[in-house]
Amino acid sequence: MSDKDILPWEKVGKQYRLNYKRAGMLVDLDRCIGCHSCSVSCKTENDVPLGNFRMRVRYLEQPDNKQISFTPLICMHCVDAPCLKACPSKAIRREDDGRVFIDESRCDLEKECVEACPYGAISINVEKEVAEKCDFCTHRTEVGLDPACVSNCPTDALVFGDLDDPESRISKLAEKKQAKAWKAEEKTNPSVLYVSHEKWMEKKANTGVQLDSKDEDVTYEQNNLK
Amino acid sequence: MSDLTRRSILKLGSALIAGGLSPLRVSAQNATSGKTFGVLGRLDYSKAKATPTICFACTNHCGVIGWVQDGVVRKIDGNPLDPNTEGNLCSKAQGMISYTYYPERILYPLRRVGKRGEGKWKRITWDEAYTELADKMRPLRENGTPEEFVFHYGRDKTKGYTKHFTNAFGTPHRLNRRSICSSNRRAPLMSFYGREFEWETQDLANTKYVINWGGNPFEAYQGGLFMAHRLQSARVDHGAKLVTFEVRPSATASKSDEFYTVMPGTDGAVAFAMIHTILKEGLENKEFWNRWANIPLDDVRESVKDYTPEWAEKVSGVPAADIKRIAIEFAKAAPACCTMSNRGSAKHYNGMQADRAIRTLDVLVGNVGKPGGYCLSSLRGWSGKYGQEGLPNLKMPEPKASDPKPWGMGEGFNETAFKKLPKEVQDRVNNFPDKWRKKYFGELATPSEYPLAWHWYQMRVGQLVYPYIKEGRQKVSVYMSFTLGAAFGYPEANAAREVLLDEKLIPFHVAVDIGYGEQTALADMILPEATSLERWDYHSTNNYGLVPYTGLRQPLIAPQGESKSIQVILRELAHKIGGGMEKHFTYKDDESLYKDWYKELPISWEEFKRRGIWQEKDRPKDYELYERPLTEAELAGTNFEAGKLAEGALVEKDGKAVGIIKDGKPVRGFPTPNRVINVYDEIFPEAAKAVGLPLTDGNASPLAVWHEVPEHVDLPEDRFIFSTFKWNVHTQGRSGHWKYAAEIIHTNPVFMHPDTGKALGVTEGDEVEVSVYRPTGFTYRSGEKGVMGSFKNHVRFLKGMHPRVVMCSHHVGHFEHGIVGESKTTETSPAEGKSDKLADKGLKDGVWWARKRGGIGGGVHINDALPINPAPLIGGQNWYDNVCSIEKV
Repeated sequence: MSDKDILPWEKVGKQYRLNYKRAGMLVDLDRCIGCHSCSVSCKTENDVPLGNFRMRVRYLEQPDNKQISFTPLICMHCVDAPCLKACPSKAIRREDDGRVFIDESRCDLEKECVEACPYGAISINVEKEVAEKCDFCTHRTEVGLDPACVSNCPTDALVFGDLDDPESRISKLAEKKQAKAWKAEEKTNPSVLYVSHEKWMEKKANTGVQLDSKDEDVTYEQNNLK
Repeated sequence: MSDLTRRSILKLGSALIAGGLSPLRVSAQNATSGKTFGVLGRLDYSKAKATPTICFACTNHCGVIGWVQDGVVRKIDGNPLDPNTEGNLCSKAQGMISYTYYPERILYPLRRVGKRGEGKWKRITWDEAYTELADKMRPLRENGTPEEFVFHYGRDKTKGYTKHFTNAFGTPHRLNRRSICSSNRRAPLMSFYGREFEWETQDLANTKYVINWGGNPFEAYQGGLFMAHRLQSARVDHGAKLVTFEVRPSATASKSDEFYTVMPGTDGAVAFAMIHTILKEGLENKEFWNRWANIPLDDVRESVKDYTPEWAEKVSGVPAADIKRIAIEFAKAAPACCTMSNRGSAKHYNGMQADRAIRTLDVLVGNVGKPGGYCLSSLRGWSGKYGQEGLPNLKMPEPKASDPKPWGMGEGFNETAFKKLPKEVQDRVNNFPDKWRKKYFGELATPSEYPLAWHWYQMRVGQLVYPYIKEGRQKVSVYMSFTLGAAFGYPEANAAREVLLDEKLIPFHVAVDIGYGEQTALADMILPEATSLERWDYHSTNNYGLVPYTGLRQPLIAPQGESKSIQVILRELAHKIGGGMEKHFTYKDDESLYKDWYKELPISWEEFKRRGIWQEKDRPKDYELYERPLTEAELAGTNFEAGKLAEGALVEKDGKAVGIIKDGKPVRGFPTPNRVINVYDEIFPEAAKAVGLPLTDGNASPLAVWHEVPEHVDLPEDRFIFSTFKWNVHTQGRSGHWKYAAEIIHTNPVFMHPDTGKALGVTEGDEVEVSVYRPTGFTYRSGEKGVMGSFKNHVRFLKGMHPRVVMCSHHVGHFEHGIVGESKTTETSPAEGKSDKLADKGLKDGVWWARKRGGIGGGVHINDALPINPAPLIGGQNWYDNVCSIEKV
């Protein structure tokens, strides 16, 4: 062990860049243990106010089973993004690597994006008076770090990578595990893909982040979630 | 870097590898990076400084990287050098940040000015605080009654530093909460293996089959974070099977390949039937058993002959065919199979024997210490103990004070203190065998009715501390609580609060803590403690990678306000007390202390600080530690002479066994007195006789035996078992201040099966009153009639609940915890202790779930309704035995 080794966190810096064509995420529901590490890490990382979630983990009671399924949900970074088309002030744009980004300095809070998104991924940040959502942690990926949720997932359930590169880990896993889009019928061509996703989850996912149904309505209303 | 897998580097950032070095890209994204995000905005990683440290959000103590920008800790990531976490971390780690900047954190010493508990405080200086405290403590030491100083902690990971203080003061009263947590589970480990090894360390990365009795590593298990990624990888990538017996759909039960709801307190029955099946099918590992177990296999065969799967089905509700099949699958997977039981099986009246049955299963199939099996790793605190051979000796470098003198007998024993005890207690102790009288230190440290709570080492019976003080079993003059939440989290917490309020019973209470809470609210003086992001600690624990390692907790920022680490507080207090105490506290600051603590580490102090983790390179994994031959050095001074000792004879040094002869050669064996595994142990009947527990009670059996939880026998149809659990985002009653954790879990509905609701005539959302009864059996205030306590809460259905069980989580329903803990819109704790300058501005309007903002509020405190119920002999709280009735409100 040489003292001169450069430690992983010492490599973090501006000299790194991504060459991705289509930044995407794989969510492996077989691996997810519902621990909320991704969502809490995201909130700390992005200083997300109470009431808003860029990433949230849903607890879904299985319809014909006594077990619970866990489902992390984020902005799907759709190739055909309804929010992008809906925004009247052109505050939402697509980056070179395909991610969908809200330029908060241009947001006029018309909230049309919130309505347009079929995933409930956009919420209103009351503090800043802007719409906010996941942007795959641009400030981390541009210095060589994975998005916070990916770095902080303890069971490797989240994989970030280039869906356009057939040799990337994410592409290989997506193919091997037959990853699917959430709400495929919306035809938005999401860049977030799910392993072991089941159709019933999509309906039930419109509930809160925890198991207490009495609180779910409040959570739902206060957090602009759907 | 040698210990790093590629994957663990990836945990920090795949882009580090994928992207490689390339010219700086000034992206359009950068343009917004500097804008005001939320309150502080996003951090800028080109400016932020990374420092490795050890998380202290729960009991796992994971290696983490803290990012600090402009003097503020902004983010916690995993440390990929940590061989236990392999770079992983959970949501709780971020809670350290929430707590550090909690607007109602106590930042200055406070002195009570109104009545105790009234909430009126004034800010005082540290010197005023130390002076008053030392003036109260000094006479106790000078007058020969140092035991009237009682130190009681909630979680102490200073690895001996607080004990150093209580020893230097001369009191045996360094009390804890082990009985609240795990003593029913630790006793079987101590009995079987001679050490608890800070739990067994299952080789989950290589296992093929795991049977889990009420353990919840995906959510709340001590070591859970170390286990979760290994277990999920074993399952998903390598096809291992996880079978769970639980009473509710926990995260672990939900991600198990098979999940059986089991009647609480009947896990043992399932384990006994599995032993029965394995023996019947001839799938046991005779060679291993005969080599290492302390009784013949036929004795076990005889003892389990009636424990058929069909019998176990009647008792537990788990289908006989499944019990049989699982037992066979488990045995066939040996040695790459293991059990897990923390602590669903153990926290019952019969929990010790249930866990002994489960422990027997591993011995039976011979998976102990084998790859993929039930392994035992080296213990914490490196001092050459079992499994730590050859590691650098790491010890607290201050000049040590001697241990207090025992009260019962032995050289210079404290007869004066002993004579003050109630006559009944004196008589009981005088009738104890000498080995216990020499270990007896009064009723708080070594409660005479629970000898197994201190036979192996002092686990104590924390939940009885307050009743014992009330009964006059121990006079207290100065009581110091340290990060303790007894007034909220102990069973019969109201009774604890009553004692804490009584100035005759507790004349002076000083609380050392980070935030204001139910415990500090009942103090006379509050001393503000530094958070884990502001202090130093030595860390070692069992590694699920099975190679020992050590990690350093180091400050990322200076302590906020005037807070200080517990080490600094105790050191400065010792100097103020004087009288020779100061001679034991020679270091000027914590860094010099820890630098010397680690002086034998083969890397420089600066390099250790840089990495945060050290692990011996190329050390073999802790497989089969018991088969390792004794070295020449270890044999020196023993009775060993080649060829002279018979097979199975003990190798002894100074009258103590250090090894055993196997195949004619001296090997280490297990760290038990007889160097083998004690499946059979006379300590149980011996302890029973000493305290008058009838030998017919299952707890008294030397060999694991099935016995029912007394109050569950013939449970009437309108009675249910009330149980509790922990959520993944919360931790041991210490997470009430964490805004993001509280946002996810701030209620604790009464979970029940839909059929249970139907039978009770209630539906989801209905309010019910849960009334809990006192236990029966050989325990505290047993058999008292009527309801012990009750609470109201709303109902939530889950199909995965056992139909005879209702459950609420704890953690929530705080009533002295500030704006987040109490789910408020305005601050509630004493203004004198706070500082606006350092506070999290994101909480200025409180929390959205506050009732004032139309929310549901912050859950229900349940612990006033839960009876103190220590298991016989060991004293572990039987949290999961409570019998209740339910009425719709």
